[in-house]
Amino acid sequence: MSEKGNSLWSDAWRRLKKNRLAMICLGVVAFYTALAIYGEVVYRYYQAKDQTAFYQKTDLDQAYQSPSSKHWMGTDALGRDVTQRLIQGTRIAYKVGIITALIAIPIGVFFGCLAGYFGGRVDSFVVWLYSTVASMPGLLFILAIAMVVGKGLLGIYLGIGLTTWVGLCRLIRGEVIKHKEQAYVMAAKALGLSWPRILFRHILPNVFHVIIVTFTLRFPAAVSTEVFMSFLGIGVVSEPSWGVMINSARMRLWQGVWWEMTFVTLAIFGLVLAFNLLGDALRDALDPRLRTEGN
Amino acid sequence: MLRYIGKRILQMIPTVFGVILITFVLFNIVGGSPAQQVLGPHAQADTLESFDEQRGFNKPLFIGTRTTTRAYADSDFERSAGDWQQQNGAVWTNGTLILAAGGEYALPVKFALRTDCDYELEMEGRSAGFPMFGENQLKLSKDWKKISLRFQELEKIVPGNAPVEIRSIKLRRIMSNPFDSQFMFYLNRLAHLDFGVSHSTNQRVSKLLLDGIGPSLMLTVPVFFVGLITAVMLSLFCAFWRDTWVDRFFVVFSVALMSVNYLVWIVGGQYLLGFKLGWFPVWGFEDPRYLILPVLIGVFSGLGAELRFYRTIMLDEAHRDYVRTAQAKGVSRLGVLFKHVLKNAMIPIITNTVIAIPFLYTGSLLLESFFGIPGLGYLGINAINSSDVDVVRAIVLVGSIIFVIANLLTDICYALVDPRVKLK
Repeated sequence: MSEKGNSLWSDAWRRLKKNRLAMICLGVVAFYTALAIYGEVVYRYYQAKDQTAFYQKTDLDQAYQSPSSKHWMGTDALGRDVTQRLIQGTRIAYKVGIITALIAIPIGVFFGCLAGYFGGRVDSFVVWLYSTVASMPGLLFILAIAMVVGKGLLGIYLGIGLTTWVGLCRLIRGEVIKHKEQAYVMAAKALGLSWPRILFRHILPNVFHVIIVTFTLRFPAAVSTEVFMSFLGIGVVSEPSWGVMINSARMRLWQGVWWEMTFVTLAIFGLVLAFNLLGDALRDALDPRLRTEGN
Repeated sequence: MLRYIGKRILQMIPTVFGVILITFVLFNIVGGSPAQQVLGPHAQADTLESFDEQRGFNKPLFIGTRTTTRAYADSDFERSAGDWQQQNGAVWTNGTLILAAGGEYALPVKFALRTDCDYELEMEGRSAGFPMFGENQLKLSKDWKKISLRFQELEKIVPGNAPVEIRSIKLRRIMSNPFDSQFMFYLNRLAHLDFGVSHSTNQRVSKLLLDGIGPSLMLTVPVFFVGLITAVMLSLFCAFWRDTWVDRFFVVFSVALMSVNYLVWIVGGQYLLGFKLGWFPVWGFEDPRYLILPVLIGVFSGLGAELRFYRTIMLDEAHRDYVRTAQAKGVSRLGVLFKHVLKNAMIPIITNTVIAIPFLYTGSLLLESFFGIPGLGYLGINAINSSDVDVVRAIVLVGSIIFVIANLLTDICYALVDPRVKLK
């Protein structure tokens, strides 16, 4: 990247560093990420050894233990350690957040770039496509896709991924339309560069911050949707997803087993809050024009 | 103005078409026929076929003259003899089915073929003799060859004096009208406002929708208005105290509210207020008292996002020139806020409001299923759990069309308020 590009990112980083709340959130996100990676390693390890992982092993003698030094967050109805299951939940949440982004971002960027750059018929087609998808009733549409594809993680990935590219597509399209008229694009055109090169090598880096901010703000939304779907029994079934945990903890709550519910709730709350605040801070740092007063 | 409205209505058509297309692709192409899932793994082929016939699943997708039939599954003799195992004289070896000379072989169909249309037999095979299919000759030769034969009545294959070797057989039903497709069937039913029949309750989907919309609205309309008024009031409050700790508190508060998972609101509210404190009934739908708790939860769960949104709008307005002018004239801060800022902020507020209307219709999926309110959300969740395709499709479709119409209304309202919009 050119010197100017570097300075944009370092500039943003400097601004972000000044924001104490954002740095705390970044720390929280890093912590969750570490947990998710640890969870994935554990999961892979037991998969490779073809054994039941320790977080799945039932021990009915240990059922409903309240938090202690042995089980920090207590145990659930089948005597499984809530802490370990929460970590596995983090792993699934991260998987969902990242894979849905990997589906939605390329679609949104691709269509947004083409529509913004070419205008005319291409633009009309893309606008038609995204306004159609945007008209579908959000959650129900996601659930319907998951129902058709089949229960499990694939349904969640496709359901969320195929419906959430619209916002990004709109933003990118708007940005590309703005950039298309600028001098550097004119210069690139005058040099006779091909359109993919202009679009993806010159314009795209300049609108990249939009993608980063959108990703940070979409991540918690995807996680919440996954929790919701797993809770309803349409998403993750046999793995300890947060939604599955809430579902099993909800009945026990009435009998005074508060820990599973509380800790899952706190875990989701922490992750979503950290990502939301970080996303806001990133937007302010990367694109000062979008900054709203008073923050 | 009329021209503008006309133009917008014309622009609406492609979107509505797109919505219909998406639901079709999702449920008919990706989903395929739900017959097996609905009728169970042991259902007879003719039961499945009549299920498909009723729902149009036994037609070509968009356009075409050939369609599969459940009477005879495509057999490729690569691995096994398939349905031909029970046939006397038919021997399967090494990826070919051999029909010995001198015999008569009936195609092992699962049920009698229809008499009102033609069928086509596609076959890859070879024979040294002159095999017949009833009156017709099967034009096989010594070399492997693909042939197709159109017929009206199922006949027996008579190999004659030399055996017939077959690699694959397919049976296709011939559609006399190539446009008689699943898509046309779907469009045609939609044109008659026929959304099909729910297979789990055996009721018409349109009736289910009509029954469900009342309870849904009873829940969502209060949530909507209480939420709107609370959020607007709080956002004005923020605008009044902007750049102080009060405002900053509300910013953090709204993000925190947004971050609490919806499930947690419901489970926690139901447990604390309904069960522990006993202030509200926990489950059911008998009198208005049953609605208080879900409405409260609904308002709280949406408050964070709304407050954040309206606060941004109010602050945007509060920095405009006319505000400074008003202040310079000596209008009090409260006066500026209510008379000037709020009035000007009404346009984005109304837009946001109209856009939210379609969501009133689906109700709140979770609130309804948790509190046992028999609305569309409850219906939708149940339908998804029991793979009731017709119901899910109808709810999705009607929801989308309401959204498109609400969008149109917003634009028209805009044009009425702000004449510049028409020029764009």
